[in-house]
Amino acid sequence: MSVEASIGMQLGTLDLDVELSVNAGEVLAILGPNGAGKSTVLRALAGLLPIQQGQITIDGLMLDDPDRHVFIPAERRPIGVVFQDYLLFAHLSALENVAFGLRARGMAKTKARSIAEDWLHRVGLGDHADHRPRALSGGQAQRVALARALASDPRLLLLDEPLAALDVGTRSGVRRDLRRYLDSFDGMRILVTHDPVDAYALADRVAILDAGRVVQVGTISEVTAHPRSRYVADLVGTNLVVGRADNGVLVTDTGAQVVIADLGPGRTFAVIRPQAIAVSRLAPTDSSIRNVWEGVVGDIDRLGDRIRLGIDGPVALTAEITAAALESLQIRPGDTVHASVKATDIDSYLA
Amino acid sequence: MIALVAIAFFTLPFVGLVWRAPWSKAWDVLTEESVRQALWLSITCSLWATGFALFFGVPLAWLLARVNFPGRSIVRALCTLSMVLPPVVGGVALFFSFGRRGLFGQYLDQWFDFRLPFTTWGVVVAQTFVAMPFLVLTVEAALRQLDKRYEDAARTLGGSRWYVFRRVTLPTIRPALIAGAVLAWARALGEFGATITFAGNFPGTTQTMPLATYLALESNPQEALILSLVLIAVSFAVLVGLRDRWLGGTGAPAPGGGQ
Repeated sequence: MSVEASIGMQLGTLDLDVELSVNAGEVLAILGPNGAGKSTVLRALAGLLPIQQGQITIDGLMLDDPDRHVFIPAERRPIGVVFQDYLLFAHLSALENVAFGLRARGMAKTKARSIAEDWLHRVGLGDHADHRPRALSGGQAQRVALARALASDPRLLLLDEPLAALDVGTRSGVRRDLRRYLDSFDGMRILVTHDPVDAYALADRVAILDAGRVVQVGTISEVTAHPRSRYVADLVGTNLVVGRADNGVLVTDTGAQVVIADLGPGRTFAVIRPQAIAVSRLAPTDSSIRNVWEGVVGDIDRLGDRIRLGIDGPVALTAEITAAALESLQIRPGDTVHASVKATDIDSYLA
Repeated sequence: MIALVAIAFFTLPFVGLVWRAPWSKAWDVLTEESVRQALWLSITCSLWATGFALFFGVPLAWLLARVNFPGRSIVRALCTLSMVLPPVVGGVALFFSFGRRGLFGQYLDQWFDFRLPFTTWGVVVAQTFVAMPFLVLTVEAALRQLDKRYEDAARTLGGSRWYVFRRVTLPTIRPALIAGAVLAWARALGEFGATITFAGNFPGTTQTMPLATYLALESNPQEALILSLVLIAVSFAVLVGLRDRWLGGTGAPAPGGGQ
C-alpha cells in the first residue's frame, strides 16, 4: 500500500513540481510557509484540481495522469479530507454530517446512521449526535470532521492545517486527541501544516515545501538534526526534548532535567531553538540562566556564516552560533563545552 | 427627519385607503362571484408562476453564477430585462412571439392546437415572464457568495455533482431561495400590464385581482377600495410572516416588486 505522486502545476505565480510518496500506516507532514503550494498539493491529491504534469497513484490505481487523459474526480477517489475550517454542513446535525459520505455513496439511511453513530462514539461525541455544527466547540467540530472523513473508510486521509482554526489555549489538547485518533487509523495520512510543532506531534516523516519544491524529506529527527539548507534550518532545525513536566521542570526519559517557564503537569515537549543556546567553554556563573548542560561537540556544520554545533550531553542539542564565535572559542569536534538556555527561551507544549 | 417623510410617504396612502373603505359593504363585495373568481385566479396563477420561476430560474441562476461562458453578461441582461421593462412592453413582446400569429405562437397553434393569449396559461406566462428575474438575481447572488469549499468537501465525501447540489448547495442558499420565490410571487400577484396586454381581461379566465381592481375603479370605486385592501392584506401578511419565520433575519436582499 502506498501513494505515489508527482505533481506538476503552474497556477498564477505558483510553479509546483513535487514528488511525494507515503507508505502504509505512515503519517507524512507537508510543512511549509503560506504560499508554498501546500494546499494546492492537497487539492490535487483529493481530486479537486487536475494536475498538469505528472501522475498520482494510490495502491497502484491511477488517479490522475494528464498524459493519458486519466482523471478520477474527487467523488470517486478513496480519499478522505479534513479541511482547515472543518467545513461541516451547517444545516445537518453532527450525525448527518458523519453519515453524509455513506449516503452519498448510496448506503441506506438506517445503516448509514448506525455506522455514523459508531464513529461519533469512537471520537467521544456519542452524546452530540443531534447537535448542529454551530453548537460544537472547535475541537469537537474537528472530531466530527475527522469521523466524517473516516466513516467511508478511505485508504488515504488528508488533513489541511488541522489545528490552525483553533485558538492557542485549546490547541495542545486537541493536538493530543488528534494524535490518538490518527494513530487508530491504519491507512495512509498526509498532513499539511505551516507549524513545525504540528508536524513533530503528528507525523512520522516530513516533506518541506518551499516555493513549489520539496527541499528536504526525512524523518522528523533527521530533518531537525540535519537541515540541508538555511531555509529548512530556520523552519524546523530546532531541538525537541520530550519528557514529563511538573512544577516547571521537564524530566526526560534518560533523566536529564530541563527548566521550562510554563507549568503544566504531564507529558510535554519543549522546543529549544538552536539560536537560543549560548555555548561557552566554562560554565556561566552568577547568571539568570536556568539550564546549563555540559556536553561534547560532535558535528560542526556550516550554513553560510552560521555554524550548527551538535552537542552531546544529558540533552542532545544542536546549537547555532556565528562563524566568528566559533573562531574565537576555538571549538573543535571532541571538545567539552557548556550549552546554556534561559527557561523563558524554551517553548513547551503538552504532548 | 427625511426618513420620517419617507415613512409618511409610504404609509399615508394606506391610511387613506383604510379611512375611505366602505367597511359595511366589505362582506357583500368579497362574496361576489366575480371577486371570488378574480381572487382565486390571482392566487393560483401567481403560485404557478412562482413554481415555473423556481423550476427554470434556479438552473438559470446556477448557469449565470457558476459557468463562465462568453456573452454571459449579455445573457444575464436579456434574462432580467423584463424586470426593468414597462410590463406593457413585455406583454406586447409576448403577444408578437407567442400570440396566435406570433413568430413562435403560430406553431403552438398549428402543431399542438395550443393557444396562450387570452387564456389562463397566458396569465401564468405573462406573470412568469416578469417575475422570474427577481428569483434569478436573488439566487445568483447567493450562489456567488456561497463558500465553494463546502461543495468541495461534499465531493470528497463521494457526492456526485447533482447530489452535492441537492444536499449541500440548495439547503445552504435556502434563505435566498425563499426570498427570491416570495419576491417573484409578489411580483406575479401584482402583475397588471403584461397580463392585460397578453392575456386580456376576461372574468373567470384571465381577470386577476389587479385587473378587477382597475376596472372596478371606473365602474364602482367602493369595490376597488375593498379589492385593494385585500391585495394589501395578502401581500403584507406574506412579507411579515415569511421574513420572520423562514428567513430568520439572515438578511436576504429585498428589492421591491409590484407595478
